[in-house]
Amino acid sequence: MTAREEKPIIEMSHVTFSYDAPAEGGAENSEDAALRDVSLSIGAGEFVGVIGPSGAGKSTLASVMSGAIPHHYHGALYGATLVDGHDTCDVTLTDISQVVGSVLQDIDTQMVASVVEDEMLFGLENFGVPHDQIEGRIAQTLETVGISNLHEREIATLSGGQKQKVAIAAILAMRPRVLVLDEPTAALDPASSTLVFDTLRKVREEGVTVVVIEQKVALLSEYCDRILVMSKGSLVLDGTPREVFSHGDELRRIGVDSPRVARVYNSLAKDGLVSGAPCLTVSEAAEVISGLVQPASKTSCHVASAEEGAREAGFRAGSKHVATPRPHAEGAQPVVSLEDVSFAYPGRTASVDHLDMRVYPGEVVGIVGQNGAGKTTLTKLLNGLLRPASGTVRMAGLDTHEVPTSAIAAHCATLFQNPDYQLCKDTVLEEVAFGLTLQGVDERDARERASAVIEHFGLPADEAPFSLSRGQRQMVALASVVVMEPEVVLLDEPTSGLDYRECMTVMDTVSKMAERGCAVIMVCHDMEVVSDFAERIVVMANGRILDRGGTLEMFSNAKLMQEASVRAPQVIELSEVLARDLSPEFAGISQVSGIVDLTEEMVRRG
Amino acid sequence: MVNVIDYVPGDTLLHRLNPVTKLGIAAAIIIAIFLADTYPMLLGLLVLTFALGAYAHATSKLVSLLKLLVPLAVVMLLLQTAFVRGGAPVFAWMTTEGLVTGSKACLRLMGVALPLILMLSVTKLNDLANACVEVLHIPYRYAFTFTTALRFVPVFSQEMNAIMEAQTARGVEYDTKNPIRKLQLMLPLCVPLLVSSVGKTDATALAAEQRGFYLRTRESSYKRYPMVGRDVVVLVACAALVVAGALL
Repeated sequence: MTAREEKPIIEMSHVTFSYDAPAEGGAENSEDAALRDVSLSIGAGEFVGVIGPSGAGKSTLASVMSGAIPHHYHGALYGATLVDGHDTCDVTLTDISQVVGSVLQDIDTQMVASVVEDEMLFGLENFGVPHDQIEGRIAQTLETVGISNLHEREIATLSGGQKQKVAIAAILAMRPRVLVLDEPTAALDPASSTLVFDTLRKVREEGVTVVVIEQKVALLSEYCDRILVMSKGSLVLDGTPREVFSHGDELRRIGVDSPRVARVYNSLAKDGLVSGAPCLTVSEAAEVISGLVQPASKTSCHVASAEEGAREAGFRAGSKHVATPRPHAEGAQPVVSLEDVSFAYPGRTASVDHLDMRVYPGEVVGIVGQNGAGKTTLTKLLNGLLRPASGTVRMAGLDTHEVPTSAIAAHCATLFQNPDYQLCKDTVLEEVAFGLTLQGVDERDARERASAVIEHFGLPADEAPFSLSRGQRQMVALASVVVMEPEVVLLDEPTSGLDYRECMTVMDTVSKMAERGCAVIMVCHDMEVVSDFAERIVVMANGRILDRGGTLEMFSNAKLMQEASVRAPQVIELSEVLARDLSPEFAGISQVSGIVDLTEEMVRRG
Repeated sequence: MVNVIDYVPGDTLLHRLNPVTKLGIAAAIIIAIFLADTYPMLLGLLVLTFALGAYAHATSKLVSLLKLLVPLAVVMLLLQTAFVRGGAPVFAWMTTEGLVTGSKACLRLMGVALPLILMLSVTKLNDLANACVEVLHIPYRYAFTFTTALRFVPVFSQEMNAIMEAQTARGVEYDTKNPIRKLQLMLPLCVPLLVSSVGKTDATALAAEQRGFYLRTRESSYKRYPMVGRDVVVLVACAALVVAGALL
């Protein structure tokens, strides 16, 4: 709280912005404003997270803070933004950027050099830092960010997480007083995302104010001391993570997820068992639940033997706590099979070795693992973009060695992480019908089927796909997958770049396809999504499959998770802790409702 | 995928020369190629280029570029033999004179492209830009534009690849064996590629400005690029090469 009482470093008052030129008579509060009447002040030294559904104006807010609005993007701007006491309209972008450093969403476009050191030099040289100080500054900044060992490296050879750190270091070296980051972890796996946030925390300790736009709620709640929630261009919530996440229902209405442990707490609070601000970490939640249950279980012997508890847990696992396994017919033929498949890229070290996998119709299988574990290579082997060097891949009865990729497409539809690679037609209708016509469905029939799907998704059939928002473009890509009625669906990071609501639409659609007998294989970094929707997972690391099996069983295997650098979802971690410390009955619960129900039951019993 | 213009790290004399001198070498070889008119000289210059490449451990770059150039050279040879019809007939429509001018044109084509690639593969783009600004007094914004354009070549080719993979997975026949059909299918993709490249360029401009691009002067560069003795010696040798090309 003290930070906010200091003189604010960024102050916005009644800022409204729209990317269109001002209409006659003023466009204030017009329908298409990207920001509406936003007032806020950010104190020096704060660590602020910004969250909101897509199209809520988060990136626009960052642009206003960094001076890109009004100096780079043009439109109608009302209200005032003061950065370190100066109105951003009165000073140049170069002046503003000496106070506010910004890291762009697409860091590849931000890089100016091919070597880390040169990348660091660029800003320092430009801002005229005395040459005898440059060396020391670079060394110190690399130290802060934790990449001193990368000093001489070529940027093209770095991993995604390392690149992100270089981008942060290059900005940080200029000693800005505020650092604004736009979704720095969007392309990263959970382990690298945590490392980036560790870095940001260290940067903040050096006295730099950090403003970060982020979709990963668990990270925000753990690292930030203040969260701003945006919706439709307005600032709707502003407070500490605890304050913000106590409005769970409101957030869900807007389209923002809450950390799962906060959901557990909020559900308990709704039933009057606890009150106050929600807990944000697994250990806090475990403490709260132990506090509720413990006194009871100590006094009564009612909690039956461990054996009985375990039996009950098994019953639970089979009932409402786990995505029920879909009934794939006994003895059904697998629709996808990999037998001892190996592949190596020419001239590179990355490879996959001895992959074995079988997927049956109607299954949802998740593939998890770190960046570089070989997940994307696996999906490309499945849809025929890569051919195995040894072993066989059979997709819907076809050996990928024998048929061209474009023919496999009739059986296996892929939804890519970036929808823009998939879109190429002038209207949404043509786009969705395109895949069908490629497979020889006649034009009229294709259009009819496409129209039906478009209507189901509520998309504008006659608009150009590229004029839609990022989330809607992903929906168009999804519609073109659904319309194919494929036997197998491959999802490569289906949820990245989507907000909570869009993410749920994608996953619900996919689950429905699975219920109709389609096999779904998804590569996904969001473990909550995996645990909610996949009944089986394949854990990969270093190009090998470490293990495969039921989602819950895999996530509960702490050693395996550590080996693959994957962090199990919060609820599973929580149930593990509770099962160990409190009662074995908690074992095997993977859903928020399961924890809440059991806790309430135990409290009642007590 | 190995990019033709990636930097090949090393510590040879060729790496240590001033980037401007390296430009000089490339220019000298190219000018000599245009001036030379005998097979020994043309071949000699190609051999010189490869020798320098081998010395700088960049042979693989030159070979991969050669793979692209050879088909182009063959097309050029066929066209030349079709247009130049003097001398005695040799085979079908080809004549002696046609073959001679055609083959020399092919050698020139390779001789022009290879030295430039060699030079780029032993020079970091930033060094090239900074040295051009310092030594040749080229305004930084031109040097930056040039190096950024080069830097974007692999970015766009990756982008194009990603688009083609996504389309193939949808069932577009990019895996067809017919190159003309493939080209026909590729043309419509220019639009999405253009859309994304305009976006990227705009973001780059913004990022550069936010890092003080407009404050940069000729004195800004932290690294200095003085022309030293060895540069002068190499440049004199380059001048001699041009003269040799003109005479031989």
